[in-house]
Amino acid sequence: MTGFFLSQIQGLDPLTSDEVLVAQNVFFALIALVMILAALKMVTTENIVHAALYLVIVLAGAAGMFILLGAEFVAVTQILVYIGAIIVLFLFGIMLTKGSFGTEEGELRERNRMAVLVAVLIVAVTSGSFIDSFRDAELNRQAPSTTADIGDSIFGQFIIPFEAISVLLLAALIGSVVIARRDQ
Amino acid sequence: MSTNLLIVAFERPAIDWHAVAPEIVLLSVGVLITLLDILFLEKARPYMAALSGLGILATAIPLLTLGIDGTERVLFDGAYVVDNFSLVLKAIFLLAGYVVILLSTNYIVDGDYWESEYYGLLLASLMGMIMMASSRDLISVFVALELLSIPAYLMVAWRKRDPKSNEAGLKYYLMGVFASAVMLYGMSLLFGVSGTTVLSEIADSIDAGNGSSSVMTLGIVFVVAGFAFKVSAVPFHTWAPDVYEGAPTPVTAFLSVASKAAGFVALLALIFVGFYELSNIWEPLIWILAALSMTVGNLVALRQTNIVRLMAYSGVAQTGFMIAPLAVAGHSLSTGNQALSAIVTYLAIYAAMNLGAFAVIITLARRTGSAEIDSFSGAFHFAPGLTVAMTIFLFSLAGIPPLGGWFAKFEVFRVLATSGETWGYLLAVVAAINSVIALFYYATIARKMWADDPSEKDLNNIEVTPSLVSALAICVLVTLLFGIFPQLVARFTEVSLLAFGV
Repeated sequence: MTGFFLSQIQGLDPLTSDEVLVAQNVFFALIALVMILAALKMVTTENIVHAALYLVIVLAGAAGMFILLGAEFVAVTQILVYIGAIIVLFLFGIMLTKGSFGTEEGELRERNRMAVLVAVLIVAVTSGSFIDSFRDAELNRQAPSTTADIGDSIFGQFIIPFEAISVLLLAALIGSVVIARRDQ
Repeated sequence: MSTNLLIVAFERPAIDWHAVAPEIVLLSVGVLITLLDILFLEKARPYMAALSGLGILATAIPLLTLGIDGTERVLFDGAYVVDNFSLVLKAIFLLAGYVVILLSTNYIVDGDYWESEYYGLLLASLMGMIMMASSRDLISVFVALELLSIPAYLMVAWRKRDPKSNEAGLKYYLMGVFASAVMLYGMSLLFGVSGTTVLSEIADSIDAGNGSSSVMTLGIVFVVAGFAFKVSAVPFHTWAPDVYEGAPTPVTAFLSVASKAAGFVALLALIFVGFYELSNIWEPLIWILAALSMTVGNLVALRQTNIVRLMAYSGVAQTGFMIAPLAVAGHSLSTGNQALSAIVTYLAIYAAMNLGAFAVIITLARRTGSAEIDSFSGAFHFAPGLTVAMTIFLFSLAGIPPLGGWFAKFEVFRVLATSGETWGYLLAVVAAINSVIALFYYATIARKMWADDPSEKDLNNIEVTPSLVSALAICVLVTLLFGIFPQLVARFTEVSLLAFGV
């Protein structure tokens, strides 16, 4: 039964690979534009909760990019981990600490100027070297690795780092409980 | 076709259990400590230090059998390698870890800090280090780096009732995470160009013509910058003084020796296995890092009044010396091998002398209650043994024969002077000038301890706990032995990473 549906899906090939590429490029441009705008809003907005929400848009855009490249596992992980966990943690952190942000006007403006300078510099250097290295190189149209492949390599080739990460998480958990708990 | 999609045949990876035995033993000890803590709570506390010490000694057993066996074991297509280089470094890490546990024993009890968790984190960090020594793959290197760093961030903040320790923990964490992010971005660029994470395959990709890509250059620069933070090389050293001062002193000793050595291991593996062919990119970078670290570290160290801050800047300067041979390592294969041996030798000797210096500082600070250099004045009157030991370590750090530090510095100079490159000679001159500056501030501490009058009235001899005595004994023994019989250490550190791939 499943085999039948799969063969149906694989049988459907309405777009030639060139047409797929055009569609990909259009969506890439759209998503990239939204991401850039949201990122700019994120660093310029005065309200830190709004900044966190703009960050959601940027991260969702990154997930969209991964889907365009056919990396569905990374895309889902991006949404689950970043939007699902990290942003929620941010928001909780902001609400629980009630810290005042950006009160020192002059100092902040000075720091902003430095940040802008560094950001522009990094964008110039990285985009310059990307353009220089790849120029008109075409994207490799080979199918990216599927979720099953990723699972295999985690428990095969990368079993040692995988086990190390579990030790790391346990250590981080125990350590942060010790640091955070109130001593009598 | 459709069934292939649904049922993917998973092949169990072939694992050489002997090769990963040290990691497994250390992991078991860590798990045992955590479980005992959960089961027996306070009742298990007094045994934790001894248990983790024994665990580290037990980890050394498979290391010995691997060393006797002597075959190079390559796991996972070159991603995880157990060779002489990794065995020597694992031994250095284990010895440093053992000494740090000896140093911690009383410190943690006296301060009434959380004990079982402390040793658990220390073992986790140590586990990351011995994993780092074998990692030859970007993903393993990164995971090992995080495994050794994250417990260290937490241990720095362990004196949680002291705002200075909190500040140190937060600072170390934020700076460390930033460096990790930069490095990870660099790694993603390397992967993007070469299409592989295994270092030896990256080397193949460079050979195949990807080396001229500017993205590759950018990746290498970012990765080297990330590790320059870890080894506290100028200009990535700003975290070191504050973190060293705020952290519990045994943790400072651990950071300044083991954590730094781990950064070096990764840097060496990346450069020698991965980017060796691209020496025109990393040699100038390393040259600048080395010259800046030596000069800035020493000049700022001259002005310090707090001994822990002074050791932080001295550590920065020592990093400069350690990294210097790398600046000429790309000249030829034999220079490369000599540079690698010189760095490993330096790491081994530096571990002993620096841990020893911290052992004395911890013992004296327990008595004087302060880490100001002036409070150590006249230490000879109430702690003659410690003063002699401190003098040995300080003069060894300065590089005076016949102490271990002399041989370490000699090896560095030999590599720089025999490389036949103008830049090498120039760096040797910078290093020579810096050795003189360093001798000045090391000797100042020794002079104060021997000649000045003690600031305290209480001239009873200082009480030194058995664990500190053993830590000092190990460090003095190693420092003297490697200085008087340098061929001993040279025999072990004559390792190579350039055997294949070039």
